[in-house]
Amino acid sequence: MFHEKQSGPAAAAALEAVGYRVGQQLAERYTRDKPRLGDALEIIKFVCKDFWQALFKKQVDNLKTNHRGVYVLQDNGFRWLQRLSAPPPGSDPAREEAARQLALSYLHLPAGIVRGALCHLGVSCTVEPDPKQLPSCTFTVRVM
Amino acid sequence: MSTLTFVIVGQEDHPIYEVDLTGPKEQQTQYLHQFVLHSSLDAVDEQMWQSKEPHLKVVDRFNGLSVTAFVTAGSCRFLMLHDGRSDDAIRSFFQEVYELYLRVLLNPFHTPTTRITSREFDRKVKLLAKRLIG
Repeated sequence: MFHEKQSGPAAAAALEAVGYRVGQQLAERYTRDKPRLGDALEIIKFVCKDFWQALFKKQVDNLKTNHRGVYVLQDNGFRWLQRLSAPPPGSDPAREEAARQLALSYLHLPAGIVRGALCHLGVSCTVEPDPKQLPSCTFTVRVM
Repeated sequence: MSTLTFVIVGQEDHPIYEVDLTGPKEQQTQYLHQFVLHSSLDAVDEQMWQSKEPHLKVVDRFNGLSVTAFVTAGSCRFLMLHDGRSDDAIRSFFQEVYELYLRVLLNPFHTPTTRITSREFDRKVKLLAKRLIG
């Protein structure tokens, strides 16, 4: 039961909530001397560039949108997953799946941070992390 | 009879912090000041979306008193009700209070939607006002 608490959905929700608060505070801090941002796209671009740079020491590599409120932020080489050893591509899918699950548990916190930052700046949304090919991963932002 | 009231309004349009910054001996009835400040929120809203600058100069006038506003990126508004003080002094005051406010926000025990009750914050704001606005 202890293990369940450590790694079940309750832990994920708790991490995400912590990330949410941290994201709000960091967003307020990093927008200090910058002019205010207008619409959702500008806010997401700010998150991809300045915010990501300050947090993860690099910018988001790829931003895709379907212009209907869904944005996909792709980071090839996510710093917080760098030290996680990836199974070589082409090895058996069960191992890859296990690695993906493990990476996912590390991604709840940054997903919460991104959501906190976006919501604080006025874009109410949900953020879904997805570790595709370690160490690259994507964050899918759905604006509500 | 000088007027100088400072209010911080959060994202959900509720007051987070209010203080009367006139000299040490004059503490006036706050009701009219509060009313004027809250009714000027609409004017702040209009001007907010028109400019990208955080500091909006005078947004509203009432009876010889004017309201100056400063909007942060997280849509938190600083409002100052005054009787025609220098805009530069108020601008520098807002910048300094912004720094103090950021520090309060970074406190993990503080929720962005509750009132700021820290006495240190209160003391520093009053000191700043005396130093910068006089």
